[in-house]
Amino acid sequence: MFWRVLRGSLRESRGRLAVALVAIISGAAVSSALLDLQFDAERKFTREFRTLGANVVVSPPSTGSRTDEESPVFGGEELQKIISVSNGGQSGVTTFAPFLFVVAHSAESSVILAGTWLDEAPRLAPWWKVQGQWVSNRADRQHCLVGRQVARQLKLSPGSSFEVTHAGRKINLEVSGILSTGGAEDNQVYVNLAVAQGIAGVGDGVGLVEINVGGNAERVQNFVTELAARVPELEVRPLRQIAQAEGQLLSRLRMLLLVTVALVLALTGLCVLATMATLAMERRSDIGLMKALGGAMPRLVRMFLAEVGLLGAVGGALGSLLGAVLAAWIGRRVFGTAISARLEVFPLTIALMMAVAMAGATPLRLLSRVRPAVVLRGG
Amino acid sequence: MFFRIVGESFSRNPLRKWLAAVALVLGMAITTAALTVALDVGDRLAREFRAFGANLVVSPTADTLPLEIGGVDYRPVEEGSYLPEADLGKLKTIFWRHNIIGFSPFLEVPAILERDSSGPAIRTTLTGTWVNHSVAIPDGTIFQTGVLRTHPWWKVEGAWFDDSKQDCVVGAGLAARTGLKPGDTVTLRFARAGLAPLVQPGQTPSEERHVSMHVTGILSTGGTEEQVVMAPLAVVQALTGRTGEFRRLMVSALTRPEDEFSRRDPSTMSKAEYDRWFCAPYISSIALQIRQVLPGADVQVIRQVAEGEGRILTRITALMWLVCIAALLAAGLVVGATAATSVLERHSEIGLMKALGAPMGTVSALFLAEQLVLAFVGGGLGYVAGEGLAYLMGQAVFGVPATGRLILLPVILLLAAAVVLAGSLIPLGRVARLDPAPVLRGE
Repeated sequence: MFWRVLRGSLRESRGRLAVALVAIISGAAVSSALLDLQFDAERKFTREFRTLGANVVVSPPSTGSRTDEESPVFGGEELQKIISVSNGGQSGVTTFAPFLFVVAHSAESSVILAGTWLDEAPRLAPWWKVQGQWVSNRADRQHCLVGRQVARQLKLSPGSSFEVTHAGRKINLEVSGILSTGGAEDNQVYVNLAVAQGIAGVGDGVGLVEINVGGNAERVQNFVTELAARVPELEVRPLRQIAQAEGQLLSRLRMLLLVTVALVLALTGLCVLATMATLAMERRSDIGLMKALGGAMPRLVRMFLAEVGLLGAVGGALGSLLGAVLAAWIGRRVFGTAISARLEVFPLTIALMMAVAMAGATPLRLLSRVRPAVVLRGG
Repeated sequence: MFFRIVGESFSRNPLRKWLAAVALVLGMAITTAALTVALDVGDRLAREFRAFGANLVVSPTADTLPLEIGGVDYRPVEEGSYLPEADLGKLKTIFWRHNIIGFSPFLEVPAILERDSSGPAIRTTLTGTWVNHSVAIPDGTIFQTGVLRTHPWWKVEGAWFDDSKQDCVVGAGLAARTGLKPGDTVTLRFARAGLAPLVQPGQTPSEERHVSMHVTGILSTGGTEEQVVMAPLAVVQALTGRTGEFRRLMVSALTRPEDEFSRRDPSTMSKAEYDRWFCAPYISSIALQIRQVLPGADVQVIRQVAEGEGRILTRITALMWLVCIAALLAAGLVVGATAATSVLERHSEIGLMKALGAPMGTVSALFLAEQLVLAFVGGGLGYVAGEGLAYLMGQAVFGVPATGRLILLPVILLLAAAVVLAGSLIPLGRVARLDPAPVLRGE
């Protein structure tokens, strides 16, 4: 009997239920899309922040006295340790590169020769702008990138070559591209690490290693601790300019998303609630009739709850599917990669929509005071 | 008659009308709040991004190459050229002067730190800058700026020096090496003819100078500045004989993310395009405006900061707009659904009117007028509620309330009207086809 009345009621008011269903589906779609977004956006933004460059630097400790011209170097053995830690699966390191700086002379002026893995540079420093060609091979001992200021000073352009000397050693370099960054790199000549090591005569020594660690502040700190334990003789420090500003911005973003999502969720819920309440209101005459026929009020309420609960479940399910599509689209549009739908969002959305729809039945309580005679008369 | 019926409908069944209005108010409140925040978020976040520090660097055009490794400049004072400090006030006279958040000039000189004990001397750099300096602007106002604004991540244990005293702060790395702490006195020696390594063999430093300064704090920056001694700009200028001059200026400016248009070469733009480019706070146009007021200066965009900032800002703004559109769609659908329900549940009324001979056009007009009244009242209330929410959201997220925008009011009202009309027209069409008789019979 209960089910038959329910089925009948659903079939009879198809039009109205379809309208309510549309409201629930759209509410559910937005809710689940925003929940997906909320869960995923922080990870996405953390990755975006990595385009700001290295956030951890490893260098020899600045102790003792140095009055010589060279900056201190550390050997290939430590570098191997750093590489093995960085390549570890759980480290979160996206990219890293060693650097060696040498003060060299070219023509009449002094210039800083910086050695690194030039093939790694576009990933470690995506903001570098090169006019001409990148040096795309780590073993290339011939080509170099010349900072903008150096190129102007020494009158160099892509294709020209020049000579650099240091401590009696001499090399010939061919300019592959002009580098402009707005930073210290504008005043330096970038060569592959082996070239710089050769001219400095330091064997396989490097001056510092820049590491780009993905993930939140805690993860970066864990990496720093782990690496510092492996190479106790070196100084491992996070770059505060990047790390601190990044942390601050991330917490702002998290807050922004959280507040927006909470607000939209709450208001969407209320909107659906209002629609469901309208649906309940128009049941007045049905209920009057049922009461006149001797139906018990709790049973009538149960029937209505079953009806809207079912509506909420169906709407919630359809809506969360739609929401997953919406989230994927937003992800592709904003971040270039889809935001993966999370499994826990589906039941969450369905439960939410059922709860909201059933809460919409509250006006029915008011109807328990309905006097059948008045209602049936159409008053 | 027409208006009386509309009025009657509101007074006769207030509860039902209230429910429809509540859905409308809520829906429009979400839309208003989301729109307001989306419009505001770019500006707010651009300000937050200034935590990454300066995004423009100004250096003399005719400068020689700085020889800087690990924060130590190996270049003698005689080499290179300088910029006049007196021009700095002009930075706040450019078109986008309000977007210049702060700037700090730097003057660096190689120095040798002498320790009290007879340990070996340490080579370092003495850097002169402003902590919080008052700059006179040509229009007669005073602008407070310095590293507190341009380098917000620098921390000092102890206190910063006073810009007018002969005090200094010592980098944390250097302090660790020398055991200096706040309250100590540091003695620096520097040669006016350059520093030992770059002096050619056979040439001797012509004149040596000593200076003792009181250490007020230990500076930690996470960068190369931890190896230097930092003192007020005026002090370093006096010591080096470079009165009123500096070598490098870091400028922190609020900018709009670069786009296709701003990446074009300004010299290829037409007059109208150039004006549009010049009057937009792109970093490249701000750089040009600074170049115009500082003769002999080369203004460079610090691409590491500017690129990352532009990219992230673009993403966040796009994200907020999409969230806004999603919220708008949901609100629209829910409001439309409510409107549709309120038409559907009155089909007996419509049947009665038709039976009494009212043409469908009049009936529709009656209903639409009713819904429009609802839309304007609900939309207006929703706008007010939404602006209130946006205010609170701005306060919660950025600590600064979001600015309300009156321009949104007509947008919201039109939107509410459109959504409600669309929601009503579909069921009205269906009801129009109904035969009055069965409806009146109650089927």
